[in-house]
Amino acid sequence: MHTSFCRSFSSREWGWLCFSIVVLFSISQAAHAQTAAVVDFDTSIAPILIERCLECHGPLDANGNLNVSSLASMAAGGDSGPVIEPGKSDTSLLFQRARDGEMPPDKNGASQKLSDAEIELLKSWIDSGAKWPDNRRLDPYERTTGKRGGRDWWSLQPVKRPKVDSGNVDDGNAIDELVDRVRNQHGLTKAPQADRPSLVRRLYFDLIGLPPTADEIDAFVGDTSDNAYEKIVDRLLASTQFGEKWARHWMDVVRYAETNGYERDAVKPEAWRYRDWVINALNSDMPYDQFVTEQLAGDEIEDRSESSVIATGFLRLGTWDDEPNDPAEYQYERLEDLVHVTTTAFLGWTVKCARCHDHKFDPIPQTDYYRVAAAFWPGPVAHRQRELLGGPSTEELGYNVLGWTDITRTPAPLHLLKKGNVNRPGPEVPSGSLTTVGKNVQDFVAPPESAKTTHRRLQLAHWIANPENPLTSRIIVNRLWQHHFGEGIVRSSDNFGFTGQRPTYPELLDWLASELVQGGWKMKRIHKLIVMSDTYQQSSQNPLQKDYANVDANNQYLWRYDRRRLNAEALRDSILMTSGQLDLRLGGPSFMAPISDEALEGLSMKSGAYQASPPNETRRRSVYMFAKRALGVPLMTAFDVCDSASPTGRRDVTIVAPQALALMNNQWVNEQSTAFAERVLAGAVSEQDRITLAWRLALSRNPSEAERQAAFKHLTDMRGESNDDAAIRRAWISLCHVLFNTNEFIYVD
Amino acid sequence: MSTEDRRTNPILYPCGLSRRQAIWQMGAGFAGVALTHMLAGDGFFDQLAMAGETTQNPLAPKPSHFPSKIKSCIFLLMNGGPSQVDTFDYKPALEKYAGQSMPTDKKYINSGGRAVGFLTPAVRPFRPGGQSGLMISDFFPKVREHADKLAVIHSCYTDTHAHGSALVQINTGKPLIGRPSLGSWVTYGLGSENQDLPGYVVILDKRGGPISGQPNWTSGFIPASYQGTLFRPAGTPILDLAASSSFDRKDQRMQLDLLAQLNEQHMNERQGSADLAARSASYELAFRMQAEAPEAVDLSTESATTIDSYGVNQEPTAEFGRNCLIARRLVERGVRFVQLYSGGGHLEETWDAHESVEKNHGRHAGEVDQPIAALLSDLEARGLLESTLVIWGGEFGRMPFSEGVNKPGRNHNPYGFSMWLAGGGVRGGMSYGETDELGFAAETNRVHVHDIHATILHLMGMDHTRLTYFHQGRDERLTDVYGNVIKDILV
Repeated sequence: MHTSFCRSFSSREWGWLCFSIVVLFSISQAAHAQTAAVVDFDTSIAPILIERCLECHGPLDANGNLNVSSLASMAAGGDSGPVIEPGKSDTSLLFQRARDGEMPPDKNGASQKLSDAEIELLKSWIDSGAKWPDNRRLDPYERTTGKRGGRDWWSLQPVKRPKVDSGNVDDGNAIDELVDRVRNQHGLTKAPQADRPSLVRRLYFDLIGLPPTADEIDAFVGDTSDNAYEKIVDRLLASTQFGEKWARHWMDVVRYAETNGYERDAVKPEAWRYRDWVINALNSDMPYDQFVTEQLAGDEIEDRSESSVIATGFLRLGTWDDEPNDPAEYQYERLEDLVHVTTTAFLGWTVKCARCHDHKFDPIPQTDYYRVAAAFWPGPVAHRQRELLGGPSTEELGYNVLGWTDITRTPAPLHLLKKGNVNRPGPEVPSGSLTTVGKNVQDFVAPPESAKTTHRRLQLAHWIANPENPLTSRIIVNRLWQHHFGEGIVRSSDNFGFTGQRPTYPELLDWLASELVQGGWKMKRIHKLIVMSDTYQQSSQNPLQKDYANVDANNQYLWRYDRRRLNAEALRDSILMTSGQLDLRLGGPSFMAPISDEALEGLSMKSGAYQASPPNETRRRSVYMFAKRALGVPLMTAFDVCDSASPTGRRDVTIVAPQALALMNNQWVNEQSTAFAERVLAGAVSEQDRITLAWRLALSRNPSEAERQAAFKHLTDMRGESNDDAAIRRAWISLCHVLFNTNEFIYVD
Repeated sequence: MSTEDRRTNPILYPCGLSRRQAIWQMGAGFAGVALTHMLAGDGFFDQLAMAGETTQNPLAPKPSHFPSKIKSCIFLLMNGGPSQVDTFDYKPALEKYAGQSMPTDKKYINSGGRAVGFLTPAVRPFRPGGQSGLMISDFFPKVREHADKLAVIHSCYTDTHAHGSALVQINTGKPLIGRPSLGSWVTYGLGSENQDLPGYVVILDKRGGPISGQPNWTSGFIPASYQGTLFRPAGTPILDLAASSSFDRKDQRMQLDLLAQLNEQHMNERQGSADLAARSASYELAFRMQAEAPEAVDLSTESATTIDSYGVNQEPTAEFGRNCLIARRLVERGVRFVQLYSGGGHLEETWDAHESVEKNHGRHAGEVDQPIAALLSDLEARGLLESTLVIWGGEFGRMPFSEGVNKPGRNHNPYGFSMWLAGGGVRGGMSYGETDELGFAAETNRVHVHDIHATILHLMGMDHTRLTYFHQGRDERLTDVYGNVIKDILV
């Protein structure tokens, strides 16, 4: 920010202008002070200039060479000459054009004319001598306006830990207190606690992405000890399935896929090691600051290891074109991908919008985009041998993994590109932090003598993973909250800027953020606090639903727990678990899910392009499913798996008929129904016992009498006259298939 | 609610979304639209706080920005890049320069580092067609008979010389993977008119998909329900449409009856069950689609004359002929956007004529000429041409020079190529723009892919600058910040 301001003027120019203008203004002020009402610049004029003029007549983009950000530049006028004649509004160009509605110009055919009051203020200000406070320079970001966010934007303010009365924070009471405060203001009360079977089913899906068995539910229902629930929470948080479930959410955010896209759609070798790194990091409760640092700069940290270098695979997961039309231009596309994934994942801040111009809605000058981009510039962004797939060589990296490192410690300077145009280089931009986020603004310094790399990414990582950074801790606790409740405290979890949503519980967000930092950035603690809260343990039904739905239909104020549809992964994993086929092996190379021939027609290379893994591999959890950019797995795509071209913190949840078609007719689902039926047939002898078993396996509970009768009737109808084994088996496959399709199977209360 | 409103007034709608998102989530997808309507018809939404939403469901047929007669679009994508100087861009000067080298002042990227041969004239003669006398080569004798319907744009150019990125660009506007495709934008903007069929259909060539695959018909960052649906032109056209072999339709009916019973019990125990009811209803819709979608590809009601005109029962036109006929049936049934690929896989299996233009284009044009002509005739005869926009073109063109001695093929050329449009709102029998005298680069009235997209949206009644989707802090558009409507080709 300051950099760019300073660059716009040479100091010689500045000094001269200031001198002459101050003299001019002082004289005119004296002359007119008595004839017009005094208008306060800061409260009346600065807001008009900032909100209505500065976007086009500012220091970086001075249309008509008019820059209204300072006394000097304003007095210098523009191409049309001076714009203000102090004391004489009628002959001041600035006033004339505003009065006549010429400025600000129409936008998409709509007049942008200043209000009468604003015009009157300008008039009085000019007539009273156009007084401009000494050294006052308008900063386009100094305050939030009706059109854009400024430095005072809520998410840029330091995290402020609210006072809570609840003593013991470990039981989630502080969460409840902070939620209650807001909810009470709206005259709403929370729902009663969920019944025990619902609660434990919710907890399982939420923490490990798998359903509990009926026996596990029964045990919980029968456990009368005070800490029965907490015991399950602790067990699930400690289970390896926890990391598998939560890693998938992070994989969406980091645009995880295992191929490059484009013509060859080549496999990114060993990308799965990054996925395993995430799973292990979450399972071992790696502190979040370390989690950030290793992904951005695992090659530059002091205790660098193969594992920390694998973490830098974060920077290798994007699309990569091995045959770009113009390699010189393409390296800037790669920079955008890296800036975008970094600032979205860790900061929820749309820095990429400032690639071609200052951000239209948030305080992100174009130079800030390049300050961050400069951290990636010393890496392999330029076009090199195709075999390297856009990354460093094994020698450069030091390990034979998919990772990132600088390929020089003395990179060429990175120049800002005017309008993002590679042929219009602007000033060189130093590597550094964003300049409007937090107080800890820094230019990155040269690396130590011994370093092979620039240490820019390391400095960026340390700047991000810093307790003082107002975005980092808020963003991650909000992501955790979102996946526990379906919606974040800030519902636009990738965008904490002006165009995003505001937090429904600002105090709660800050309390969680400060709690994360105070707890050494350990995330499992935050998970536990959340699931231990009454807020989380509410029923999905509130007795006052009818009234509340009119007041707060979308449950912003958490007067119930929102029922949720399973995502594609949990759905597939649940089907496998129910059919008894689920293979819980941890980690390792991904499996290729079977894809029907019809769907494979979408590939340009038919033979050998896609070979499904053998069946014993495809029974693993969905997090291990190979993600190919040229072809999504139809069953997963149908259930809203997101596109992997850019980061996604929140998937769409749609309800469409093709999902019904997939669950009714997909061959894989049919095979699972068969396996499920065989499991039932083998597990019990009488029809009644089999019905019970089927319900317990699929829905983790016993069937009601009505359900029992319905099932019995279906089996009979499907069998028809015939009573041989084949007919019985077929009837059971049908019943099991129906259970996979029920709302209860796919929704969690 | 416009995005402008959202910025200043971030009111949360049911499920914590903006109004627009809320509507999508309730009714996204070709089947979702009908679903929402069905439920609304049942008075279902009246019980809900979100009753007001259904009337503005943007997935239902939605008014265009301004009036347009065009309801549907058929995009005939000649995958691989047809040679303009051998098809629609008549360059007699090439006769004069035949055998010479490309002038050194013509700068280009030699894609794939292939051999650079000699300037080579069109391998088949050009002849005037129709009243307009548009010059079209003997690769397209039957399309030539429809010259008066075509607006041929000779001055197209794109940003990249590689198939992978150029295909993605012709489909999404940019050579980078991840943006929504043209068909997604169109269905997002206009919704869909037939609830039993997808609004955006892609029919591939049997030889394979286009290079880069799914990113060519992806919905990118707009909801997945706007993604193109791969459609097979026979039997059961949509993936997972047919019941498995073990259960027939009667069995499925019994399954669905049991399902409905179980779901109802589950629903009765719960409040605020819009999502549950919607999902239950989606099964009935799916069940109906199973019966009705195959009807769209069942040609038994077509006359023998029609079938023969498309060349469905003869080679080499059988496959593309069938696809064109299906395309007509789809737009007749209200499908919004149909894309047909000619050529699939790689190299000579597509229009990628590196070896021999005569051999390659002879084969591919031979497959499509009659079907395309039949499609134009048939649409016209049924009064559908007025409400349909037909687009023909590839991802780029080809060089005016060969690949060497005895290699009468041509390399990729993103600097100049031809496309044509026909149908409602399009001035027929005209050409627009010019390449240089060699047919190498667009020179007069240059038309970028963004301009084509802007024009297509315009013809369908949409302003490309207003068709936006708010994504990661920005109002995204098909044309990014570019695009000019080619006014001269409009009626």
